[in-house]
Amino acid sequence: MSRPDRQTFGLRASCGRIRVLARQALREALHLRLGLLVGMAGLGLCGGAAGLRQYSFGQAELKFMADFGGAVTGLTSMVLAALVPAQLFFRDLESRTMDVLLTRTVRRWEYLAGKFAGTACLLAGYIGILSLLLTMILVRQGRQLGEVQPVLFPIFFAGALLWMKCTLVAAMTLLVCSYAGSALFAGCTGLMLALVGQLRSLPSGGALTVLQVWPNLTLFNPEKLLTGPATMVGPWLLGLAFYWAAYLLLLGALASYGLKHREF
Amino acid sequence: MNLAAGNGGAVALVGFGKSYRWGWWGARIRAVESITLRLESGQVLGLLGPNGSGKSTTLKALAGLIAPTTGACQVFGHRAGSNEARSLVGYLAEAPRFPAHVTGEEFLHDCGVLSGLDSAALPARVEEIIAWSGLGAAAQQALGTYSKGMVQRLGLAQAILHDPPLLLLDEPASGLDPEGRLALHHLIRDLAARGKTIVLSSHLLAAVGEWCDRIAILGRGRLLLEGSATELLGAERKRWPVPSRLERLYLEKLHV
Repeated sequence: MSRPDRQTFGLRASCGRIRVLARQALREALHLRLGLLVGMAGLGLCGGAAGLRQYSFGQAELKFMADFGGAVTGLTSMVLAALVPAQLFFRDLESRTMDVLLTRTVRRWEYLAGKFAGTACLLAGYIGILSLLLTMILVRQGRQLGEVQPVLFPIFFAGALLWMKCTLVAAMTLLVCSYAGSALFAGCTGLMLALVGQLRSLPSGGALTVLQVWPNLTLFNPEKLLTGPATMVGPWLLGLAFYWAAYLLLLGALASYGLKHREF
Repeated sequence: MNLAAGNGGAVALVGFGKSYRWGWWGARIRAVESITLRLESGQVLGLLGPNGSGKSTTLKALAGLIAPTTGACQVFGHRAGSNEARSLVGYLAEAPRFPAHVTGEEFLHDCGVLSGLDSAALPARVEEIIAWSGLGAAAQQALGTYSKGMVQRLGLAQAILHDPPLLLLDEPASGLDPEGRLALHHLIRDLAARGKTIVLSSHLLAAVGEWCDRIAILGRGRLLLEGSATELLGAERKRWPVPSRLERLYLEKLHV
């Protein structure tokens, strides 16, 4: 048998490993039954937004549909962002695939980065599809009603912001996974942490002040984008991107530390 | 501390002990207590012992999956778990289950990339390993359709894919039929003949007697006995598998 050449160190080798792990994670994620169920529910509800317009309670029809579709997209994406990484992580752990991977030259942060990248790709696809579906429904309904076409560009901007928010939730869940004992615990805790991030804008005092270090997910709500002056949008987006990247790095570093000290 | 340097040692455990934390209060459960043993390059060591005796813990420590609580584990002079040590180790976990939706060939290809194999030479290497492991046409099937024996063969294939000098095999014969076990015997002897150092654990006492140069018996986390197979088994040691009459009949009928 021949002796193979090997290149195990360096940034290029690292990126290659993360790409393989991300592809594996994405492939597995597309076969997760629970993820599929949540995804189909989101698609069904978003697609059925036009059928629910009689429950708009006096709101303008198009606005109701946009709000309802946006809420469904946001909610199901957040659920996926918490459940998918938890399921992927514990599948690998229970099947001992993780043992096989981590005894190779895969560093633990590379493993987590791969899982994260796979989940981020899945979320990008899911949010993209739902945003496209919502856009098509709004265009069709706008034509039927003879109303002015809704501004569609913000839907995709809102989708991008939602993706950033969901990737933070996925990173929080991976942090929990690094020390948790089950997918159920990690998924539920991930959702709770997402809820804490959503409630960050509420006034808090006393012991709750400590929660101020947690990422504020309400910053990723698209209101500022839709209502703020156009000149402010650029710097706001830039600041938000830094905020997102800084928290991703922090959560990733903590998760890597947790996984490095985990007993198998 | 370089325990193995200078004497060609492949594996060195010095006072290796491991205890796990358990429960809410982190009570410590001792799995392995102060094991000291050394294995030279090219030797095959069989770890024997009842369930819970510390065989898998010892293999996991050598693979770098867990850190010793006391003592030290080294692989070719490197701390077990370091990048250098991991690049020298091939590991087969006990009763592994691999991702169900990829084919055997894709899985081996991914393992090759993760081990840092050259991407240009990887397809040929994967093909070579598939032929060696006897998976053949099954390599194009999804892993979810594999039998236990095929998964075990794939597990061995991924362990030797990057041609590591040290192989750690946790219950390699688990789930294999007599034919598979015979094939595994040939695989292990073939690897040993090519100078690979192998540490394996098994409950199959006769098989370990056949496969291994050295034998270690563990009990309640302690090393009870360790020595060369020739010393321990003497004339009773079989150098090659001699199938029993039933095994011969079984294999004959299967191959009619």
